[in-house]
Parts: sequence; structure tokens; C-alpha cells
Amino acid sequence: MSEQKTTRDQPSLNVGKLIRWIAGILLLALIGWRVYQTAFIEGSYGPDTWMRFIIAGLIIGGMYSLIAIGYTLVYGILFMINFAHGEVMMLGAFGGYFIFELLASIKAPSVSDPNMNFLNAYPVISVLLAFIVGTVVSAVAGLLLERIAYRPLRKAPRLVPLISAIGASIFLQNAAQLLFGPQRRQYINPVILWRGTGWSIPVGDTTVLLTYTGTLSLVLSALLMIGLFLVVQKTRLGRSMRAVAENKQAAALMGIDVDDVIGKTFIISGVLAGAAGVMWGIHNGLFNHYVGFLPGIKAFTAAVLGGIGNIPGAMMGGMLLGLLESVGPAALGIDFQLKDVIAFTILILVLIFRPSGLLGEALSEEKV
Amino acid sequence: MKIRRLLFVVIVVALALSACVPQAPVEEAPVEEAPAVEEAAPAEEEAPAEEEAPAEEAAPAEEAADDVCASDAFGCAVIPAGDTIKIGMGAPLLGDYSMFGIDISQGVEVALVGDDGFEGWSYELIAEDTGGAPEAGAAVANKMVTDPTVVAIAGHIFSGSTAAAMPIYEKAGFPMMSPSATLPELTEKGSAVFNRLAFTDATQAKFAATLLFESLGVEKLAVMHDGSSYGQGLAEGTKAVFEELGGEVVAVEAVTPGEVDYIAPLSSIAAKSPDAIYYGGYAAEAIVMANQWQQSGLDGVILFGCDGTYGVEFTDKTGPNGEGSIAVSLVPPDSAEKTAFDEAYKAAYGMEAGELSAFSWSSYDTGAVLIAAIEKVAFVGADGSLYVPRGALVEAVRTTDYEGLTGTVKCDDTGECNASGPTFYVVTDGEWVPFVP
Repeated sequence: MSEQKTTRDQPSLNVGKLIRWIAGILLLALIGWRVYQTAFIEGSYGPDTWMRFIIAGLIIGGMYSLIAIGYTLVYGILFMINFAHGEVMMLGAFGGYFIFELLASIKAPSVSDPNMNFLNAYPVISVLLAFIVGTVVSAVAGLLLERIAYRPLRKAPRLVPLISAIGASIFLQNAAQLLFGPQRRQYINPVILWRGTGWSIPVGDTTVLLTYTGTLSLVLSALLMIGLFLVVQKTRLGRSMRAVAENKQAAALMGIDVDDVIGKTFIISGVLAGAAGVMWGIHNGLFNHYVGFLPGIKAFTAAVLGGIGNIPGAMMGGMLLGLLESVGPAALGIDFQLKDVIAFTILILVLIFRPSGLLGEALSEEKV
Repeated sequence: MKIRRLLFVVIVVALALSACVPQAPVEEAPVEEAPAVEEAAPAEEEAPAEEEAPAEEAAPAEEAADDVCASDAFGCAVIPAGDTIKIGMGAPLLGDYSMFGIDISQGVEVALVGDDGFEGWSYELIAEDTGGAPEAGAAVANKMVTDPTVVAIAGHIFSGSTAAAMPIYEKAGFPMMSPSATLPELTEKGSAVFNRLAFTDATQAKFAATLLFESLGVEKLAVMHDGSSYGQGLAEGTKAVFEELGGEVVAVEAVTPGEVDYIAPLSSIAAKSPDAIYYGGYAAEAIVMANQWQQSGLDGVILFGCDGTYGVEFTDKTGPNGEGSIAVSLVPPDSAEKTAFDEAYKAAYGMEAGELSAFSWSSYDTGAVLIAAIEKVAFVGADGSLYVPRGALVEAVRTTDYEGLTGTVKCDDTGECNASGPTFYVVTDGEWVPFVP
């Protein structure tokens, strides 16, 4: 059947492919020419400004990557898009916030400052606690989401859990609004992690500030990604996950508890999203119950960009998307409000030329 | 059947008549109640000792009253003894915007109740609900002009409702003083009766640009806004005035509201090395910007906000990063009068001034300005009633020169009365303090 189809489509496919490639090359040339112009001919920005763009892009890209991995893991195993994943991240942000508030209210008088609170007295422990609580909250939320919204629909047609995911997303947003209020909150960081402080890196005759919060986010997301890679590649759980992703029935026949593996997958993606939520709070500060929506959509884009179902693809897609958003408007010399347009245009282009994403391989029979 | 219908008509006519009847005696009452005038006279003779102008008129009172009222374009409001001098207001007292209407009516009321009256007449506020809507604004205006004891209007509160009410008051000769209607066109229509204490966005932009250029010595300015008509209007207004003054605007950037990462646009502006950035928009985005100031390479550049930026939220959420930022507010600087007003407001309504809206203080000034204007033109006639020549009152409000809580109130030809402009505040040690150039 499939062989017949390919042979029949062969001639028209070639013409279409040719047109696509010509259009793509023209477009790339146009973009390249524009970038060359802004970067070298007009010279609007010095190296220090480019470096600021790149640093900001990498930091936000790290958070996108962590969230994107959650989309990709779930898709790899269940072939569904967990649209409530952004809300899992939002709950993690709230978890970390309340820990910071709690620790700030605990008095820890020291000799030099009798008004010292726990948050400032033990910043390392505080930040660690915030991350632990944030990730635990998100992991539990992810697990419950799977149990309540997705497991009962496992045998239903594929659109049904998708609708259920959108419903869960709306429910979680509104529940958070009712529970915590609609106002925008801000993480009050320990003084040593205050936003706007960091290392000054000399670039040319100026300096570029590398903030402590940004460095923390970037290093932590890198560590988490390495950790995840090790879990998936080296542990027994990782092997079961890959087996379930390959073929659920066969995995079950080999004695793997499929439900258990799916639950654990949701826990892992919840942990990563929760860490991203706390990073978001520590680095960016402001958040409310809608905080998960846009990063969720962006991370989904990143996952598709890298090839959905592919873990290194999600990591790369997130970083790439962050960088494109940050550097893109400046490189093309257009308005900064258009950064989302650039990001999504790149997505469309990638999908036209590589429908399975940058690192995506051809999908197996079952997944199509 | 026919008899029934006839009866119905008769009843309706009777009702209509009975509704009209009391109206007539009210207007004639002063003339009829001559003895009452005689009683009031002694009190009146004491008063002239304080005020000399009315003393001269008091002797041939009746003729003078007739003369003034006959020559006045709109005649006189006649307020019988024992009644109150009424000031009308059309305000959103119910619904979504009620906090503005309630706050402003309370602010005006503090001024009216706190005043010890004029020649024995006290002041009363008649606030009617408009919901902020133009139709209701016109309806309230029609109601106000039929009340012979309403002499002036504090308001209206929203621009739309004010615009709809203006022609009605214009015809009847009711002076208006709005603490809050900011639509620029309102004073561009050549209305004689409309005045406002509120500074428009154009006024704010003018004062901001002047302060930036002259007091702060900024030569290169970058302008940012959040894309809203409010923010963009302010930013473009400031840019225009700043360039007119001779400054250079090196960049104009818009940001998407609600985001938490503005490093890219800020870095792009930093590359053009401005001395200050003017931001038109609300506190949420200004907070994000202030927190990303250093990361974007903007050390030493001033963040200059607008009245949307001002507030405790900004200082709370920026901490040391917000230090030195400048913003604008309706809240006047601390003074003995302000403290007295704040206490009176709290005592009367059990809440802090400024808790419902930022208009508490300008509402008080509105009431005070109207009282001052009324006392300038009103006089007691021989019949013991208070006469307020309406045309003269319109003129008196327009020529007001008054020192209020919010600064000097002095109207120009078009009715813009906020002569001292908005108050600028700068963040010093985590607090907003009045900016001294």
C-alpha cells in the first residue's frame, strides 16, 4: 500500500520539492543579506550588544528546553500533546514563590544583623529548598494530571485526550487564579541573588553583565538536561521508557509495567517543568497564573522545531528558539515586538523543509 | 368604559397639576415671605463688616439684585434662606467604575462640608450616577439644570459623560470643573463653562519633556511605550515636545505588555547611548525594565516614567534597581493642608484618601475652587435670599487663581486649570519623594 503510494506520488513530489528548495534558498539568501547588512554595513550594534542578546537568549532558551523536554517525553510515549504542561510549570513557580515567602518570614538573627531572615542568612539552602519544593509540586501535578485527565482516556481516539489536555490547562489556570489571586507576584530573591547583580565581563571598551540569576538558570538547566540524558540512556527506567515509546504491546509482553512507566514519565517531565518555573521566578521575577501559557506554547514550538519525540532535539530546539527570539529582530533590523513572528516563521520554514523537525527521524508505522 | 377613560385622563391631569403646583410657590416664596427677610436682615448687617463689597450693595439691595440679575446673561440662581447652595456632580457611583465616582464625590464633599458656609448658607453636593456613560451624563445634566438651587458642577468624571453634558450646561450657564476628565478635545471646543483640574496626557508630556531637557539636562532621549493608546500617546507627545525644545530622540521602541524579558529592546537602545529613557505605560512593564537595566548595559541612564508607572508596586518590586527612577503622580507632595484633608477624609469615610482612586486630592481642590468662585459673586438680596449670578460665576471659575493641595489652580483661556502641572517623583532609598530639580 505505502509502496504504491510513493511510486504514484513520485513525479509531482519532485516538482514540489524543487520549488520548495528554490524558494527556501532564495529566502535564506535574503535573510543572510539582511543580517550581513545590519551586522556589518550599518553596524548598529557593537560586540557588547550582540553578547547581551546572546546571553539573554541562552538563559530563556534553557528554560524553554526544560519545558520542551516534557512535551517531547510525553509525546514519545503517548503520542499526545500535553497542553497542560505550561500550567505544570506555573504550579512549580508558585511552589518556589511560597517557599521564598515562608523563609523570608522566618527570623534568623545573626551577630551583624539582628533583622536577618532565613532567606538571606542561608541563601544556598533557601534556593535549594525552593527548587525542591517547586519540582515536587510540579511532579505531583504532572502525576495527578495523568491519572485524572489522561489515563481514563488512554483507549479513546487521539483527539480526545488532546481536548482533555486543553480543558485541564484552562482548569489549572483558573484554579490558580481563584486560589492565589490574579495579581502579578514577584520573587523576592536573597540579596546575593538580587536581579541586576552579577559578573562584569569586559568586552571591547565596555562591560557586559552576566547576572547570577541567569548563570544559575543556565547552569542548572544544563545539569538537569545532562541528568535526564543519563537517566534515559543508562538506567533501567530509561530503558523501559524507550521500550514503551517503541512499542507499548511488545514492552508489556516483555514484563514492563506500562502504566507505571507512563506515570514516571509524567513525574520526570513535571520535575523539569517545575525547575523551569522556579528559574523563571528567580531570574525574571514577575509571574501570575498565566505565566505557563506563553512559555508552554514556545516550548511546544521548540519541541516541534527539534523534532517532537526526540530529547536532544527538544534541548536544541529550546536553545535555538531562545536565541532566535533574542537575536533575530536585531539581526534583521526589525521591531522587537516582532520576535514571536520570527520564531514562528522559522518554525514554519523548518516544518516545510524538514517536516519531522531538525533532529527528528522518520516516524515508525505506529506513530504515524 | 368611556367614563373610565375620562376618569383616567382627569386623574393624570390632576397628578400633573399637583406635581407642578409646589414648584411655583418655591420661586415666589422669597417675595411672599417678606417678614422672614426682616428677620434675616440683622444677621446680614453683621456680615458686611467682614466683606466690604457686599456692604455697598446691601443698602439698595433689591435694586442691585434686580440690576445684576437682569444684566447677567443667564440670570441668577436664587437660594431661599434655609436652603443649601448645591453643587452638582455626574459620576459613576455604581458599577465597574464606581471607585472613581465614589472617591471623587467624597473628596468634593470633604471640601463642601468642611467649609463654614457663606452668609449662613451651607454647601451641599448632589451626586447623580452616570455609570460613566455619555447618555446618562446628558440625562444627569438635564436634571441638574432644572434645579434652581444648583449653581455649579463638579465634574463630570469621565470624558465621554462630560462631553455629552457640556452643551446642556453651556446653554444654562452652569460652570463645570472636572477633576478627572482628561480627553484633550474637551477644552478644544471653545466651551466657556468647562474647566478641568486634571492634566491631560498632552500636558503631562509637555511637562515631562521640559523637565528632561531643562532640569535634567538630557540631550539624547530614547522613547519607549507599551503600544497602548495611553502609553503611545504619552511617548509620542514627549518625543515631539523634546525635539521642539532642541533635544535629540535617538530611539523609539515599543514593547509587548505582559512579558518579563525586555533585555533585547533595552540593549538595542543602550547601543545608541541615550542619557535617559522615557517610558509611557504601566508599572508592570516598567518594573521588568528597571530590573533588567544593568543587564542591558544601561547603567547611569535615567528611567523616566509616567503616572502609570508611579506607585508602591514599582518601589517594592524593583528594590535597589529602581533607585533614581522618575515618575509622575496626581498625589500632591506632603503639606499641612494635605495632612488635614487626609485626616478629614479618613474620619468621614473610614478609608485612606487615595485608596479608591488617585483623584481624592484634586476632587478636594475642585470643591474648594468652586466655593471660592461662588463666594466671589454671590450676594444676599433684600428679600433674604442668596443670589448667585450665573454668568458671573462662569466667569469667576474661569478666572480662578487658587492655591490648592495639588498646586496652583489657574485656568487658561480654554479651561485648563492645572497651572503647576503634574508632580514629579524620584525614587530615593526605595521611596517616592518629590523631585526637586
